[in-house]
Amino acid sequence: MTRNEAEVILKERFGLNRFYDKQWEAIERILKGERVLLIEKTGFGKSLCFQFPATLFEGTTVIFSPLIALMRDQIKKLNSLKISAKCINSEQTTDVNSKIIDEAKSGKIKILYIAPERQENEEWIEAVRYMNLSMVVIDEAHCVSVWGHDFRPAFRRIINLVRLLPAGLPVLATTATATKKVENDIEKQIGDNVTVIRGNLLRENFQLYAVKVNSEDEKMIWLGKNIEILSDKLNGTGIIYTGTRADTEIYSRWFEHLNISSAHYNAGLDTESRIEIENGLMNNKWKCVISTNALGMGIDKSDIRFIIHTQIPQSPVHYYQEIGRAGRDNKPTIIILFYKPDDRKLPEAFIEGGRPAVSKYHKFIEAVKNELLGERELMKQANLKQTQVRVIKADLMEQGIIREVIINGRKKFEYVTNAPALNSKSFEELRAVKINDLNSMIEYVETNQSRMKYLCDFLGDKSEQNYHNCDNTGLKKLKVIVTPEWKQKLNDFREGYFPALDVQTKGSNLLNGVASSFYGFSSTGDIIHKCKYETKEDFPDFLLRQTVKAFQKDLAVRKLI
Amino acid sequence: MIKDAAYWIAFAHLPRWRYLRLNELLNKIYNENNLSLEDYFSLTEKERVKEFDLTEKEAEDILNAKKELPNHAFLAENLSNQGFELITVLSSDYSQTLIKNYKEGYSPVLFYIKGNKKILNEKSVAIVGSRNANEISIKFTDNIAKKAGKEFKVVVSGFAKGVDKQALDSAIKYKGQSIIVLPQGVLTFGSGYKEYYKPIVEGNVLVLSAYHPKTPWKAELAMARNALIYGLADEIYVAESGETGGTWSGVIDGLRRGRKIFVRQPESNEKNANNILIQKESGCS
Repeated sequence: MTRNEAEVILKERFGLNRFYDKQWEAIERILKGERVLLIEKTGFGKSLCFQFPATLFEGTTVIFSPLIALMRDQIKKLNSLKISAKCINSEQTTDVNSKIIDEAKSGKIKILYIAPERQENEEWIEAVRYMNLSMVVIDEAHCVSVWGHDFRPAFRRIINLVRLLPAGLPVLATTATATKKVENDIEKQIGDNVTVIRGNLLRENFQLYAVKVNSEDEKMIWLGKNIEILSDKLNGTGIIYTGTRADTEIYSRWFEHLNISSAHYNAGLDTESRIEIENGLMNNKWKCVISTNALGMGIDKSDIRFIIHTQIPQSPVHYYQEIGRAGRDNKPTIIILFYKPDDRKLPEAFIEGGRPAVSKYHKFIEAVKNELLGERELMKQANLKQTQVRVIKADLMEQGIIREVIINGRKKFEYVTNAPALNSKSFEELRAVKINDLNSMIEYVETNQSRMKYLCDFLGDKSEQNYHNCDNTGLKKLKVIVTPEWKQKLNDFREGYFPALDVQTKGSNLLNGVASSFYGFSSTGDIIHKCKYETKEDFPDFLLRQTVKAFQKDLAVRKLI
Repeated sequence: MIKDAAYWIAFAHLPRWRYLRLNELLNKIYNENNLSLEDYFSLTEKERVKEFDLTEKEAEDILNAKKELPNHAFLAENLSNQGFELITVLSSDYSQTLIKNYKEGYSPVLFYIKGNKKILNEKSVAIVGSRNANEISIKFTDNIAKKAGKEFKVVVSGFAKGVDKQALDSAIKYKGQSIIVLPQGVLTFGSGYKEYYKPIVEGNVLVLSAYHPKTPWKAELAMARNALIYGLADEIYVAESGETGGTWSGVIDGLRRGRKIFVRQPESNEKNANNILIQKESGCS
């Protein structure tokens, strides 16, 4: 098929006039049955590179994607183009998934999105035996690499699968964020005959700012003062990324206190609320959504006008990935990172606290050497917590010491015959790399060079470009000015913020109530601590007033006064 | 997992192809034409048929198998993840004893295994016998397994009740090694892995099957599997045989192939066909 012929079909089926050169380069290879690793920035149109050929193939194209939100968006779009696309994921009921599997078996689905974890599912494996497969796609392919910023063990199985696929079956792996090291790792894993197509990563429409501050207050004040102005000026909505779930709520209440419309989002919310907020974001319902990094990956909104981080991410790759979600329509987009020196503690804690002690690994190994155990049995027998078991499991599987097998429908850990000894050095190596990446992220704040170039360089894009889109290359630096008026506003909010605590459960003496100091947000906790353990003096009247205020507010909320 | 697993799965389970025919074609592909299975499947249909003397039905079978290669890749990945390996007849891990015993090319072209594959090439002893064997036969089985353990020989058995199971359990008891030859696919043996988990992961037991991994247990497969047990063993011991049934036809088949078979001399009050087998062939003792 020539490019012209393909573009006629493109117009017909997708309503688009032409391919970008790089898109066509990838598509041409896919149509020949080749394997391609496509590294292109967000907004490039990577999806078209598999969606278009999928419509030409006779059978079904299977897309492994970790992002349920992305699956939903793309399916909606494809269905509106009358292309039969469905997804199988954990948010749908077993019945719905089974029905879709049946449709796939009878050849009714052109494009099937599926979470990598599904490869564990027996029904799926059984169904695949009877499907007519035309192509396999690995979306967010950086997840296959431990050197990537978002390694997911389930992707390992996908890689093993790709290695076993016959020659001539096209395979496309896509990612927006792969350093050279990750690229090499993916390439090595997918096997021979992979063509890497890499685009440049420059986002010209971005205006990058980094703001060094001295306290959380300064961040809150700047945002309180400016978020509405920013949203109005750019005529759109944006995302504020915080470091913790609690912060998403605090910022949202702060804006509420200031009468700024916002919503908060994190992985702790139920599916329904998450979908509601995702939809609200799509429709620009609020000035901004405050979220942990759980939001945005794969959301198909091209006009996110600004992304602001109140907490420094773990690495420049994380950062590039997160800001990459904004401004895909190529219109001016503002990107701001706030940083105060002790912000590094949070990502550092993630890195340091990620792994249990080596002795716990040995306990795990000894237990599974003797007996076939499931997760719960193992927790009991080796006296390990669930999170520990999961981290250790992933590491031991990675090192080929154990595997997870399914015996009579249940998952069990199995010791690998003639397994190698545990290599704890590799953890240390990985930790060192991560600390290095964090330092590079902080260097991003400190640098006086072009910030875009700094990110592109880090991601292995060496193309020479002119960079003039940051506060080091021509844009005016942002400053936080704390006025007494704003200080007072923040103080009023802080001392009047009593979020409801829903902690009541059966079999516990806890009752529902309100927090007087939510995650240490107000000074209540500090004052109690001081009186009890330092000065050993009576509690000040302030605490009494605070308590009365909390009661007043709670009763008012419950309309009892 | 071997890289060309999907091709081997497709090839090994071509519908109603005999081992002899599969081995013949493999020989043509690898030895006469210096190709691999992957190369062979990539040839044009014309090349595949003409230069390899395929019948029309055979050509169609291979064409269909080719279409299913991606599906087999999914199966192979699942097997690999569950800790199974594939051993092809061309691999040095394949049982050389089997090749020696069945030189005419009657060996399966593909094995699915779990456990320590090295024991496939150790000296080996098969112990066979009835599912309802008497106590004397069970004791005999135990003795042979004990002797095998002492002599570092692997006990080959079929995981049926009676003699088979005793052969396996005694091999483990005397810290010997054992091969379980399944009359079913490896993915339908769930509880067996659970029961023999420790000896499998310690490398003392190997589970082996020549059938498609999803094949459920079937009586006729159990019969066919017996020939494999005989072929995998250097020595064959019969603990107890009836006048019909799997053990009986296994021995008859073994004798036909010229194997030396040791049948236990029964005591005078025993009701079994051991004596008939002994008298049947002078090679028996």
